Amino acid sequence: MKGIIFDIQPFSVYDGPGIRTTVFFKGCNLRCRWCHNPESWLTEPQLRFYPSKCIGCGKCFNICPNGAHVMTEDGHIIDRSKCTVCEECADNCYSDALLMSGRTIDSEELFSLIMEDAPYFKNSKGGVTFSGGECMLQHDFLLEMLKKCKAANIHTAVDTAGDVPYEWFEKILPYTDLFLWDVKAADSELHKHLTGDGNETIIENLKKLTEKGANMIIRVPCVPGGNMQDMDGIIELLKDIKPEIVELLAYHKLGESKKEALGFGKTEFTVPSKAEMTALCDKFVKNGINAVYKG
Amino acid sequence: MNKDVLLSAEIQRRIDSMHDEKVKQNKIKLEAYGGFYNTDDHGFIYFPDFKYEPIYAEGKDETDSGVLAGKNLRKFLSQIPPYCYKDSALAGCWVGCVRRYMHIRIPKENLMPPDLEEINNKYHMRGAGIGGTNHLGPDVKIGLELGWKGIFDRLLYYKEFNAPASAEFYEAHEDTMHGIMTYIENNAKYVRKLYEEEPEGWYKDNYKTIADILDKLMVSPPETFREACQFLAIFQSVDRTYFMGGALGQLDELLRPYFERDMKKGILTEEEAVWMVASLFYNDTHYSQLGGRTPDGKKSLNSRMSFIILQAAHTLHIPYNLAIRVYEGQDDSLLDKSLEYILEKGSGPAFSLSKGIEEGYMKQGHPKELARMRAKVGCNWVALPGIEYPLQDVTRLNLAWPLVYAIDEVMEAGEPTLEKLWDRYAYHTEVMIDAIKRNYDIHLNKISDYIPELVLNLFCHGPIERGLNCASGGVDIINLNCDGIAIATVADSFAAIEQRVVKEKKLTWEELYEALKCDFEGKEDIRLMLKSIPRFGSPESLAKKWAKKISEHYVEKMVESPTPENRIKVIPGHFSHGGILAWGKNLPATPNGRKMGDAISHSSEPDPGFAKGLTSFSPTLKANAVALTQPGWGNSAPLHLDIDSDMVIKNGGIDCLKALIMTHNEMGGTLINLNCITKEQIMRAHADPESEPDLVVRVTGYSAFFASLSKEYRQQVVDRYLTNN
Repeated sequence: MKGIIFDIQPFSVYDGPGIRTTVFFKGCNLRCRWCHNPESWLTEPQLRFYPSKCIGCGKCFNICPNGAHVMTEDGHIIDRSKCTVCEECADNCYSDALLMSGRTIDSEELFSLIMEDAPYFKNSKGGVTFSGGECMLQHDFLLEMLKKCKAANIHTAVDTAGDVPYEWFEKILPYTDLFLWDVKAADSELHKHLTGDGNETIIENLKKLTEKGANMIIRVPCVPGGNMQDMDGIIELLKDIKPEIVELLAYHKLGESKKEALGFGKTEFTVPSKAEMTALCDKFVKNGINAVYKG
Repeated sequence: MNKDVLLSAEIQRRIDSMHDEKVKQNKIKLEAYGGFYNTDDHGFIYFPDFKYEPIYAEGKDETDSGVLAGKNLRKFLSQIPPYCYKDSALAGCWVGCVRRYMHIRIPKENLMPPDLEEINNKYHMRGAGIGGTNHLGPDVKIGLELGWKGIFDRLLYYKEFNAPASAEFYEAHEDTMHGIMTYIENNAKYVRKLYEEEPEGWYKDNYKTIADILDKLMVSPPETFREACQFLAIFQSVDRTYFMGGALGQLDELLRPYFERDMKKGILTEEEAVWMVASLFYNDTHYSQLGGRTPDGKKSLNSRMSFIILQAAHTLHIPYNLAIRVYEGQDDSLLDKSLEYILEKGSGPAFSLSKGIEEGYMKQGHPKELARMRAKVGCNWVALPGIEYPLQDVTRLNLAWPLVYAIDEVMEAGEPTLEKLWDRYAYHTEVMIDAIKRNYDIHLNKISDYIPELVLNLFCHGPIERGLNCASGGVDIINLNCDGIAIATVADSFAAIEQRVVKEKKLTWEELYEALKCDFEGKEDIRLMLKSIPRFGSPESLAKKWAKKISEHYVEKMVESPTPENRIKVIPGHFSHGGILAWGKNLPATPNGRKMGDAISHSSEPDPGFAKGLTSFSPTLKANAVALTQPGWGNSAPLHLDIDSDMVIKNGGIDCLKALIMTHNEMGGTLINLNCITKEQIMRAHADPESEPDLVVRVTGYSAFFASLSKEYRQQVVDRYLTNN
C-alpha cells in the first residue's frame, strides 16, 4: 500500500517518549491559522519556492511546460494558477530554490526507513510517531504502518487533531500505544474561526477514546491573538476529561517562511513570552490539570 | 558516590582564580601567536623573553643522534622558567615543545629511495609515517611507585646491567633524567623564594607546602594525594616539552589509592581533592580516561575518585581532555553525571566506546582482557598504557587523491565507465597504502637513532630494562596506524557520477571532466547538480553504498599485509583531526561539487548539510553513517555531535543523549565528541569571539577555547550546528 508523506524526522524528541522517528503525513482537513507545517495541508505534492536561494540560472523558465515561472518587476515569481506541480522545475533546480513537499511512498520502504533507528528506540524507550497534516486521513495506510511497527515491537504514537469519524480510530486503536491529541479551542465557533471547522467531532472522539482507556497526551497550542482568550474554556473542558498529561505548546514562527514559499499569506500572531506560558501552565495546574510547559 | 562535593567559598575562589588566569593566559598566547591556534589549548605558559640556544654538531643545524636529543632536552628542561600560580596547589609549567626552539628530527638526506619519494609527493602524503612522535600511552603508575629518583636509579641500574650494550640509549635517557631533576629543583627553589617573600597567611603556607613537596619528590616517590598530583604535573610538563606527549592514562585509578589513603587518614578533604585535581588540569590538558571496567570485566572502575576528577574539570571550566569509558551493562552514574555537566556548560568529556574498540582489538589476536585495558589517552586514540607502541593520529592518507588521478586516467583512456573509475581509484589507493608501509619501515629503522622517546620510555615496561627505544622492541606490542580520510568526499563523488552521469544522464563524462578541470568556473549549475544528490548520511543514498565500499577497500588493503621489511602490521582508522582545510588546500575540484582548495570531509563523517531528501537531518543519521564506516580493528573513526542544548534539555534530556551514546556503542562506534550549546550562543561567539572568551568546545578529538580558533576552524563548528539542528 502507498501513502503520501512530506518529511521523516529521526531523533525527534518532541513527539512522545524517548528517541522517536516522526513521520509527517500529507493532507489535512483543518486550516489552523498558526500551522507550522503548511506544506501538510494539501494531499497532493506541492512546490515550494525560496527566492533567496535562486541563482538565476533560468532552467525553470525553460523547462516549465506551462510557463508558470514568470519574471516580474518584483523578480522571479510562480504563477500558481498555471503550475500543475509536474515537479520538472524542482527536479532540475540544484540550488534548492525550488523544492517539492510530498512524496508517495510504499509502506515497505517507509517501514525500512523507520527501522534505521530501531536500536535507538529500544535504548530510549522511544518509537515512531505518525503526525501530519492529519495522519488519520490516510487511515488505511496508517493502519498498515502501525501493524508493521507493532509486529516489530516498536512503540507507536499517533499525533492527531481528531476531526475524523470515530470508526477510523476504532480500527487503529489496537495498534496505537499513545495518542498525541490537539485541543485548539473549547468554543466551537472560535475553533471554526481558527481552524475552519467546529470541534464537536473532536471532543466527542476524545471522550470516547478516553473512556476506552486510550493512552493520551493532550497538546494545547497557545497562540496569542488566536486561542489564548479561550484558555478558561479549555481548562473547563479538560477538567471534565481528566487527561493524564497536558502539554502546553507555545506558538512559534518557524512555519512562516514555508507559508511564503508555498504562496500562502503571512500569519498575524505573536509569540507568547515564557512568563505568559509559565503563568498559564500554573493556571492549568491550579485547576487540577497535570499540565507541563517545557520552555 | 555521584554526589557533587559541596565546595566552600575559599576552594571555589581558588578554582575560579585559576579559570580566570587561564583565560588571561590564553589571551596573551593568542596575541603572541598571531590571533589563533587550531589545536588543544595545552597548558603552556608564554614567557616572551624565553630563548634557547640548541646544541648541534659542528656545521649542522639539526641534532644528528639520540644522544644529542638527550643533551638538548637536558639543557632545555634546565632552562624552562619555574612557575607557580598563586591559587594553584601545584607548581611547574612548560613553555612550548622543544621542536619550536630547535631541529630535532630524522635527517632528510638519503632518507628514502627516489621512487618512494615520488609516490609520497604525487599523492601529497603529508605526515607519511616517518618521524611521528609520542602517541603512545605511558604507564604513569611506574613513576608514581618509583618516584623521580627511583626512575633514575632504575635507569642507572639497567645501564650498568646491560653495559656496554645500548650505551647511547642510556646516555640520552640519563641526560633526560638530569634535565628533569634540575627542572624540579628550579621550581622548588623558585617556590621556596615565593614563600620567603610572601607575608604571613594562606599564600605563604601554600608556597611552603608546594616547595616542601617538590623537595621531597626529588628524593622519594609521592606518598600523599597532593604529592601524586604534583608528580603528574611535572610529568605532564616534561612530556609536553618533548614532542607534545599528551597521554596520562586511567586517571581515576592512578590517583584512587592516594585519595582513599589520605581520606582514611583524615589528611585530605574531598573539596581539597577537587582543588588539587583542578590544579593539575590548570597545568595541562593531558588526555585521560575515567571509568570502564577491570581487565577481567567483572568490576566497574567508577569510583568516588572518578566523580571528583570530573567535578574538578567541570568546575575549572577550561578545555580539558577527559573521556568516559562506556560499555554495555555498565553502572550509568558516571555517564549520567558527565552528561549533566555537558548540558550545563556545553562541552565536557568525550565518550570512548568499548564494543568497537575492544572487539576490533581482539580481532587482531589479542585477548579480551588486554582489549579492555586499552585506554582512551589521545585525541581520538586508545592504547595499552606502557606496553604498546601504536603511533596513531599522526599518519593519514587523503583518499581524494586516488580519485583525482583515476578520473584523469579514465578520461584520457577514453570510453569512461564507473567500473573503470573504481578500478583506477582502487589501484591508486593501493599504491598509497603500499607506500605508507614502506615509509613506516623507514620510520622504524630511523626513529630510535634520532628521536627516541626520551620521556615516555621511562614510563613503559621494557625500554629501560632492555636498553631499547619503545619503537624498536622496547615494548612488546608494536602496531602502527594509518587513517584513511575524505571518505564522504570520495563517496559523494562516486555517487554524484553514478546518479548524474550514469543513471540520469544529465551530464556527460566529458562535461563533468571539463567542469572539474576549470574548477567549476562558470559552471555553477553543474557544481550544484553534483552537490545536490542525496549525500552520504542520507538513508537512501547511493553515497551510503559507496562510503561502505571505500572504507572496506581501504581497511582490507591496509590489514592485508604488514610493512614489507619489519613485518609490523598497520591498523586502519578514519580520523582526519581538524586539518581538513589543509588536506583540501592543493586538492583539485572533486565530483561532489567541492571546489579546488575547499576542505575535505571529516574522518568518515558525512559532510554538513548532507540530509536534503525525505529524511531530515538528525544526530542519529550521522551516527548511523559513522557506525557503518567503522574500520573495525580497534582504532577509531570518531563521531562529532553538536546538539542544540535547548532542544535536548526541554525534551528527553540526559536519557536521550545516553540512549544515543549507548546505541552508537552497540552499533560498533568507537568515540563520540559532544557539544551541547545553543545555536544563538555559537553564532554570537563566532561573530565576536571576545564576547565568549571562556566558551569551550570540542573541535575534533580535542577540546579548545572557541575564541582561540581561527575563523575557518570556528566555521567548522558553526557549520555543524547550523546544518545539524
